[in-house]
Amino acid sequence: MTPNVRDVLQGVTVALATPPSADHGMAYTMSRVGMVTMLATLAAAESDRAARDAIAENAAIRALFAGAGAFDADGALAAAAKEVDADLSVPALDAANARLRRQLIGLHEKVEAADNAAMNRQIVALYGKMASIRRMALGGG
Amino acid sequence: MSGPLSEALATYLGRAWGEPVAIEDLARISGGASRETYRFDAVVAGERRPLIVRRDPPGSLIETDRRSEFLALKSFHGQGVAAPEPLILELEGAELERPFFVMARIDGGATASPFAPDPYAPHAARLGEDFFGTLGRIAKADPSSLPIAEVCEAPALDQCWKRELDYWSNVIETDEQHPQPIVRAAIRWLYSHPPPPAQKLSVVHGDYRSGNFLHDGEGRIIAVLDWEMAHLGDPLEDLGWALDPLWRHTEDGRVAGMVTRDEAFRIWEQASGLKVDPAGFVWWELFASVKGQAIWISSAKEFKDGGYREPILCFSGWYTARRQDEILAEHLARLAA
Repeated sequence: MTPNVRDVLQGVTVALATPPSADHGMAYTMSRVGMVTMLATLAAAESDRAARDAIAENAAIRALFAGAGAFDADGALAAAAKEVDADLSVPALDAANARLRRQLIGLHEKVEAADNAAMNRQIVALYGKMASIRRMALGGG
Repeated sequence: MSGPLSEALATYLGRAWGEPVAIEDLARISGGASRETYRFDAVVAGERRPLIVRRDPPGSLIETDRRSEFLALKSFHGQGVAAPEPLILELEGAELERPFFVMARIDGGATASPFAPDPYAPHAARLGEDFFGTLGRIAKADPSSLPIAEVCEAPALDQCWKRELDYWSNVIETDEQHPQPIVRAAIRWLYSHPPPPAQKLSVVHGDYRSGNFLHDGEGRIIAVLDWEMAHLGDPLEDLGWALDPLWRHTEDGRVAGMVTRDEAFRIWEQASGLKVDPAGFVWWELFASVKGQAIWISSAKEFKDGGYREPILCFSGWYTARRQDEILAEHLARLAA
């Protein structure tokens, strides 16, 4: 996903390392620190769950691909459905997720072209599940 | 304490006004990721002028034209919309190094954070009348007679939707760093289900929502802010954006934390003299979420690539983008049912 925890922490470090301008004033500086604190809290929660969430989303997409034979002339979706996430590092899981998402976009385009309402509903339901898996709580939970 | 911006402003305004100017109490204001915004007092010939300067940042969430923002304020200031008075537009940057404009400051108002649970109680209903009534008055105005028409292209009524969708889908195409199937599905739906032509051409504020105005705490809007995305288009565009669940505040059925959806439509229709066509509005509601996601995707790219490391960009591109995906998925589920 973009940004990932590494992006967030790198950016926040740069932001904190940049001295405040004399033109900014205390209220703005404190507001910026508050935003950094919120990002750090979100990053802490995300670091706990990023691998779990990516595995869950990848599994949900693969499950859909397993039942998409009518739209899988070259067998690419079936092959993706059989893959497993062997490397559980977040960058590897994100890379696999990016590949699966690209295939999902292609599948949905084919389903729409075929005007297949049942499969369309399955894909849209998957979108709801994906969004739910990735939901972030402001309290960091 | 005086910083380089204070000195630059004093020099610039002194030249512009032909008199020595002292800058006092300059401080940056949070929010507004597409402009650096500062409040200050300019003291000239013994008179204290409360002002705001909005300067282009090194990078920003969205590419916006400060001329259209300035002229949008000029179009509505004193015309039944609480638009602050625009004073000076400097496109070359001069002493401030980047383009900027100066406008009058309106003191004594409050803004609401998008995360405040019920920010307008107990005056929410009265504020809703003002909020949606103001938007209706913006929609009702004839843009051809307004200063903003000098810089904004007037699309054909049946092309308003396409121009906006082309623009924002291109932002996603350009700035997406991780594949986004949900918003891409929404974009395809929008292209394949065009809305009816606009009822009329209107000024579209572009970011008219809870949090982008000052209110007096008693149900009255005293300043409509952040006109940087103003353009000409379908008036339903602003209404769709204002009603996006991202700005809802509460889960009790009120929109923008103020009134029910039906009340919002009634107020807007009464003020604008226009109708909310249900078929067209479904399109503009989904479009609002696509536009939002385009902004958040662009924000994430800007932050990650290091062009502009403001923490708010990271928050928008991360937390807000994921919330917008949920909203988009809910829209798509209703459309697929």
